[in-house]
Amino acid sequence: MSAKERDTANVGAGLWKGIGMWAWVLFRVSGLVLVAYLFVHIWVISQGRSGGPGELDKLFETFDKPFWVVLDFMLVSAVMYHSLNGVRIVLMDFGVGIKQHKAVFWVCMVVAAAALSLFAWKASGLIF
Amino acid sequence: MRTEVLERNRGGMWPWLGQRVTAVLVLVTIMVHLVLTHYINIGQLSFDNIADRLAGGAVLINDIVLLVAVVYHGLNGLRMVVLDWGLSNVAGRRVFDVVLWLVGIATIVYGIWALWAWVS
Repeated sequence: MSAKERDTANVGAGLWKGIGMWAWVLFRVSGLVLVAYLFVHIWVISQGRSGGPGELDKLFETFDKPFWVVLDFMLVSAVMYHSLNGVRIVLMDFGVGIKQHKAVFWVCMVVAAAALSLFAWKASGLIF
Repeated sequence: MRTEVLERNRGGMWPWLGQRVTAVLVLVTIMVHLVLTHYINIGQLSFDNIADRLAGGAVLINDIVLLVAVVYHGLNGLRMVVLDWGLSNVAGRRVFDVVLWLVGIATIVYGIWALWAWVS
């Protein structure tokens, strides 16, 4: 595959180098992290059926410990980034905000940051 | 601009459309899921806490739609990453697609089986 083909094979990169490229890289990395988490999450929840209520409650108790709350924060970060950048991509597919895509990106990031801050505030009670 | 739209379709038109449709479905259902589990009930999650929420039925339907849509979206996303990385061999792609479908269906069946701990 030539370098030129590669440049246009991803959403937004041909329109917007630099931040656009990083937005795309982060979109893919967060996507892969979320797929990995998805399988772990389904396994964890299935412990309620295979191991019984007690087994699942033990796992939930672990997840309320500070280390796991920090991991949870990273998970919510990945979800928020992937969701809001995804909103931008879907909007562009509908032809909305193509000319203003930089502004749309930053508005999406502000929404993601606000949602993440709200989570951090709710979760901080488990750490402090 | 036109080339970009075409280039984006390299994984096939239906997977491309499926990825967009599931994106919107996941967006709506994951917000409900996240607000309930990671915001409102954070620190209080337990088997009984989940049972209270799923008893109404609406949250159960939300979670099943989320499960199906997110498994499709995640595995198709993984497929796009692998195709971009370079899986040019046609037979290799077919095998990969079949493997992803099998993994996806098994995951959805297992996920629904797990959720039935709160239904039966």
